[in-house]
Amino acid sequence: MGAAAEQHGLRSGSGGVDRASGGVVVGSDLAIETRGVSREFRTGRGRRAATVVALGSVDLAVPTGEVHGLLGPNGAGKTTLCKVLSTVLLPTRGQAFVAGFDVVRQTDEVRRRMGIVLGGERGLYNRLTARRNLRYWGALFRLSDRDAARRADELLERVGLYDRAEERVETFSRGMKQRLHLARGLIGDPQVLLLDEPTTGMDPVAARDFRTLVGELRGEGRTILLTTHDMVEAEHVCDRVTLIDRGELIATEAPRTLASWISRFERVDVDGADDRLLAEVAAIAGVGRIEHREDGSTRIETTQDGAAAAVLRLIVDADVTGVRTSLPSLEEVYLHIVGDRAMDVHRTIRDDT
Amino acid sequence: MTAFRAAFGFQIAYMRRNRDQLMPLFASPLYTVIFLAITRAAGRDDLSSYAVLAPALIALWAVSLMSAGEVIDSERYEGTLEAVVATPASLGVVMFGRVLAVVVIGCLAFFESWLTAALLFGVVVPIPQPGWFLATLAITVLAMAGTATIMASVFVLARSARTFQNVLSYPVYVLGGVIVPVSLLPAWVQPISRVVFLSWSADLFRDSLGAAPVEAPVGRLGMVLLLGAIGFAVGGWMLRRILARVRETGTLAYA
Repeated sequence: MGAAAEQHGLRSGSGGVDRASGGVVVGSDLAIETRGVSREFRTGRGRRAATVVALGSVDLAVPTGEVHGLLGPNGAGKTTLCKVLSTVLLPTRGQAFVAGFDVVRQTDEVRRRMGIVLGGERGLYNRLTARRNLRYWGALFRLSDRDAARRADELLERVGLYDRAEERVETFSRGMKQRLHLARGLIGDPQVLLLDEPTTGMDPVAARDFRTLVGELRGEGRTILLTTHDMVEAEHVCDRVTLIDRGELIATEAPRTLASWISRFERVDVDGADDRLLAEVAAIAGVGRIEHREDGSTRIETTQDGAAAAVLRLIVDADVTGVRTSLPSLEEVYLHIVGDRAMDVHRTIRDDT
Repeated sequence: MTAFRAAFGFQIAYMRRNRDQLMPLFASPLYTVIFLAITRAAGRDDLSSYAVLAPALIALWAVSLMSAGEVIDSERYEGTLEAVVATPASLGVVMFGRVLAVVVIGCLAFFESWLTAALLFGVVVPIPQPGWFLATLAITVLAMAGTATIMASVFVLARSARTFQNVLSYPVYVLGGVIVPVSLLPAWVQPISRVVFLSWSADLFRDSLGAAPVEAPVGRLGMVLLLGAIGFAVGGWMLRRILARVRETGTLAYA
């Protein structure tokens, strides 16, 4: 455990990440830790005063070297949590640590070790060139002129913008700006990187390159907290994913583990099943919806462990061989847990009047 | 120091694309025409140096006031303010560096005033003591930028600070003895004027334009520096307090 972490009594235990399994190895320190962090905002005045709870009591532990996804709908509290961790927003209650340093009391230590990429097109000086932007941000991270210039060029090369380095940012596409954002987040050579919706606006090729880059950054030992709506992205780049909704953490697991959680929702697709067979299937305990699909097949959804096996046995015993099973994607996990509220903007409002 | 130098250089580059902050420089020749026309009509050619100096000081103060607000506003507009605050650099130092760059460029107002007087009125105001003149200019520029950090901190708190910014213009011109020397103001105003660094600067400028040796220049320059440093310290303190407040209210990005 690092000296800084020891200084604040951070626990070991959740440890580093076993990439092969996506599991957690005990023994390393935590790069990000929150303990009961909540954040409330006051809105309105007088009789219209209300308190909006953006974050409930959030406990999150991200081991050093992990790529951790924060997955949730709009208004779930992802960006609020990023802002608290990046020291620009104080938590209403609780404590948060980055690289072992308190984000409220030790802001300078936190800021020196962290890079942030807040989503959207804003956050860059649009009328200046990409190179000028990065050199300036480098200086704000206390790099010397020479180091800032060298690092800026390295990063421009790395994100594929070297040839456009002398062009004004306002001429860039949204995807190019996102890449420059990422370069800006890395200019201070951070141990911890907060990426808030980093692939917004990127085309598929750029998004694929981004995933490769995240893999490289992980290989360099950096810790990354990535908020995203993109389930595929989370599955591809994250060691673990935390589902967040209405300011509350719902679950933290490896993407594969999350998916296995709803193995009880495993699906059986069958070709050529007649009504009699489907009626028998429907009678099996744990069988949920049975849906006829456009391709002529029938999808049988299960709702409890073991049900899929019973369905399969029944189908095979009926000499129907056109049968397939599939595991849910992380998106389906997400939708099952968050439900049809996924596209809504949530907030919990407590009336103060 | 790195952040300060970077902020200074950044602002110079930024102004090449955003010249709004130098708008007061357009007014400076006009003020020169007005003031020189008045002194000439009054038959007071002996006050020509006052008439030429005042527009330059007005422009300098206007530029520093305006830029202090614009710097924060532009950071918010670009969506960079939160990211700047999240760097290890002190926002106060960054603001000081950026405002100082604007004020240094704002010194062009002196050139404009002198040139306007020469071209339109045939009045060439000599600078018999250029050393003290330049020293006063250098220290005044620092004091301007230092004091302007107070303004910047208020803009971090609220966009409505624009009203406060406007209110600060003319009272400072009067209290700073920019147009009328402090010694000619009512006696009860004079102690208040002496708290305004510009009153010391304006007197020093005028003395350096006169033939007589400048009296106690080091002490008076020290006062300009001290008051500017106090302004910077107060601005820095306010900025820290206000940043703590907006981090608490969550209004840093859109106050």
